[in-house]
Amino acid sequence: MTYMMLLCLVGLVAGLISVASNPSPFFAALGLVVAAGMGCGVLAGHGGSFLSLVLFLIYLGGMLVVFAYSAALAAEPYPEGWGNRYVAVLVVAYVVSVGVAFWMFRGEWYEFSWVPVNELSEFSVIWGDTGGVALMYSSGSSMLVISVWVLLLTLFVVLELTRGLSRGALRAV
Amino acid sequence: MNPYVLFFLLFGLGLGTTTTFASSHWLLAWMGLEINTLAILPLMTQDHHPRAVEAATKYFLTQATAAAMILFGSTTNAWLTGQWDIQQAIHPLPATMVMLGLALKIGLAPMHSWLPEVLQGLNLTTGLILSTWQKLAPFALLLQFQTTSTSLLIALGLASTLIGGWGGLNQTQLRKILAYSSIAHLGWMALILPFFPSLTLLTLIMYLIMTLSMFLAFKLNKSTNINTLALSWAKTPALTALAPLMLLSLGGLPPLTGFMPKWLILQELTKQELAPAATMAALTALLSLYFYLRLSYAMTLTTSPNNTAGITPWRLPSTQSTLPLAIAATTSLLLLPLTPAMTALLKL
Repeated sequence: MTYMMLLCLVGLVAGLISVASNPSPFFAALGLVVAAGMGCGVLAGHGGSFLSLVLFLIYLGGMLVVFAYSAALAAEPYPEGWGNRYVAVLVVAYVVSVGVAFWMFRGEWYEFSWVPVNELSEFSVIWGDTGGVALMYSSGSSMLVISVWVLLLTLFVVLELTRGLSRGALRAV
Repeated sequence: MNPYVLFFLLFGLGLGTTTTFASSHWLLAWMGLEINTLAILPLMTQDHHPRAVEAATKYFLTQATAAAMILFGSTTNAWLTGQWDIQQAIHPLPATMVMLGLALKIGLAPMHSWLPEVLQGLNLTTGLILSTWQKLAPFALLLQFQTTSTSLLIALGLASTLIGGWGGLNQTQLRKILAYSSIAHLGWMALILPFFPSLTLLTLIMYLIMTLSMFLAFKLNKSTNINTLALSWAKTPALTALAPLMLLSLGGLPPLTGFMPKWLILQELTKQELAPAATMAALTALLSLYFYLRLSYAMTLTTSPNNTAGITPWRLPSTQSTLPLAIAATTSLLLLPLTPAMTALLKL
């Protein structure tokens, strides 16, 4: 299990580095998928299996749209890989900066884990993350109403920004 | 734009700011900021030309980055301290992150360069909303949360007053000048924030009134650069006579309203034994005063040669409503005698 978690955590950082370093949208979208999957693996490893499932499905839907959109917007025949000189320099720079950050903050504020939710799981009927969903729908219902309103607003905003033929806002000019 | 959609978006603008005002929880405050950002984007691209789309894109990118920083800081704070409350003491590391995020959101100096670019791409009404209403929600957060470090805010404030004065010097575009004036004023607010938050609120209100009157005056003249400003005496003679006073009030000269916040801030800084910072801020205000003075020189203090047919437009009634401008202009000129009442009212 420790090795799996190590794999997931390293994969998460590697996915983020690949997003940050590569200028091509194809590989950036791929890196985002890797980062999302590995992050969900970390969540599942710490006991949030339902949460990670929900997150992964939402991420997957979003990633499909992002990938389709970036492929349509910038269809490069020869995208730059990670081996290219310019990209490789960025990759090395990001790896070094992650290492430096790790060395600077080692043993400090980040070394907690996701314990408190399932601390007393032996005595509890409900698992932490499913209980959280129930709480969100009962105690946090007014928050959910605001969230729904924001999503509706976002729908109108996106429609206003991109509707019609000549009114596409995100378009290679 | 469809009037229903316009209503929906304006309602979103109001809802976002109100949500941030009313919340004591970082997540809800962040949601309010996001609603604000989303709702103004279609208003920015209302006249659909590439410059407006560019401005909206730049605005979206900076505001999304700032909101992500605020969210990251507040979740880190919840992780470290176990609570989401805005008014409780915040861990120094997330405090710095949230502070820098808010500074990016309102455009304080090292994070300021989006503001002139975005404002230049908008029409004057949307620019007015951007430089007044959109500042309220981040300032509500800045006024509420407790910081222990004063040096960050002082550095941001001094850099903003300096760059706000410096950047506006060579501009000929009115919206860019107003953007740099906004940066300079926000710098004064950030400077006094750790010592006397009620003065920040007072300065914010005064700035809102003065910038409202300037935007409305430029809108009445339909002028967006200095050249067209030179013709405003033929359109609205009375307003043109008052405009230099309004500009000098923005610059902070004594018998006008704009003197009040600067006076009180300098006094408070001196009381806190920060005389070098006070001197520095007062000197950088001179830079701002220079370009306000140049605007008033082009607008009122010179009369360009003209023919008789060119000076008739003032006889025609304006189709725009002038009541808001009248109220804002009067307030931005004559509020200085009410200084004791204002300071007594605005206690935080």
